[in-house]
Amino acid sequence: MKEEKEFSLETIEQKAAFVESVLFVSKEPVEPEKIMSFLKCKNIKDFERILSTLNEMYKDSSRGIISKRSGGGLQLVTKIEMHNLLNDFFKIKKTSTLTIPSLETLSIVSYKQPVTLAEISRLRGVNSIGPAKNLLQKKLIKISGRKRVPGLPALYSTTKEFLLYFGLNDISELPSIEELTEMFEEKEQPSLFKR
Amino acid sequence: MYSEQYEVQTEFFEGPLDLLLHLVNKNRMNILDIKISQITSEYLDYLMNKRGINPSRESDFLMTASTLIYIKSRSLLPFPEMSDEESSEEKFINTLAEYDKIKKITKLLKQMENNELLLWKREEVCENFETEEFYIKEISSFQLAEIFLNLIKKKDREEFVSIKSRNFSIQKKQKEILEILEAEGYLNFTNYIEMIGSVEEFFVAFFSLLEMVKRGVVIALQKRLFDTISVWKNGSYKIVQ
Repeated sequence: MKEEKEFSLETIEQKAAFVESVLFVSKEPVEPEKIMSFLKCKNIKDFERILSTLNEMYKDSSRGIISKRSGGGLQLVTKIEMHNLLNDFFKIKKTSTLTIPSLETLSIVSYKQPVTLAEISRLRGVNSIGPAKNLLQKKLIKISGRKRVPGLPALYSTTKEFLLYFGLNDISELPSIEELTEMFEEKEQPSLFKR
Repeated sequence: MYSEQYEVQTEFFEGPLDLLLHLVNKNRMNILDIKISQITSEYLDYLMNKRGINPSRESDFLMTASTLIYIKSRSLLPFPEMSDEESSEEKFINTLAEYDKIKKITKLLKQMENNELLLWKREEVCENFETEEFYIKEISSFQLAEIFLNLIKKKDREEFVSIKSRNFSIQKKQKEILEILEAEGYLNFTNYIEMIGSVEEFFVAFFSLLEMVKRGVVIALQKRLFDTISVWKNGSYKIVQ
């Protein structure tokens, strides 16, 4: 009988290798806290060092993956430059599944949450029950409560799936309205009307 | 015609009802202070003591009173919170500014979505990868026969009734009836429709008959209710081809 060799978790490289194997096996993002408690790593800085050791390794052009924080967890994803090759190999066309009305509705929910359907419809200027249902089905939004006004309308908020879908670690990573205005200010096409 | 105006008498207001409506519209009076039930019951008392009614005056009262009820019920219903000071123009500009923000966020989300689509995650391939292996299971020939029978049954259930669509036009039907009248001089409509196959055609025939009667092309006569309809060509009518 062949005895399995025990892998020790002493050096930072060994720990990085362990993290990699955990991420490799997991289909969903792994919460850093889980790995930290397993490694008995109490200091967040120590954990960050383990991660940067791993990422340092992934920077090498001989590697096709990177680790990424998404939806509050860690995940292995392919490098951006692999996209076209993977498309050709797997013959899978990865396309957007969200229509403009859905994206608009999601924009309002992400910035105004928790928000009622009436408010969404008012801001968009059209009834938004269709896009809202679609987003609920895709689990990108959820009913997070009821507003304490007559009729107790449902309040909508974004979900963890929303963060994963848009590659966000936390909802606070979304730029503020002011930053957003700056972001799109230069790129904006000349307006037909003078302001 | 002499029209006497009914005057409302309440503790807040005395005068014709439409003046009251006017004042409410101009925001000179608070709709919540007005008891519509009081106005109505007094008006009903007034009507009781009146001999004969004047339809014009009564309908005016109803019209004005219902407008008041409408205004009052609207004022009682909760309304989306919007500050009263905002003019409609400001509101419009604010909505536009909000919508502009939404447009920007939408743009951002679209960019983020596109960026994310470039990154492949583990679960993406296993479900869709085309060289997926099929799960092969051994079954007996009896089971195969059963599956076959089930499929046949399913096929049977799928059979549906096709709906025939035939178009009958009133023009064509009129011509047909006229041709019969030309040839025979008389038509027993009951006998005629008995030869007709579909309900649709029957309706078209009947409408054609009505149309021809209206235009004076034919004369139709029914002695009693549910009796047969006799049709003759109207002698004075000349067919214009």
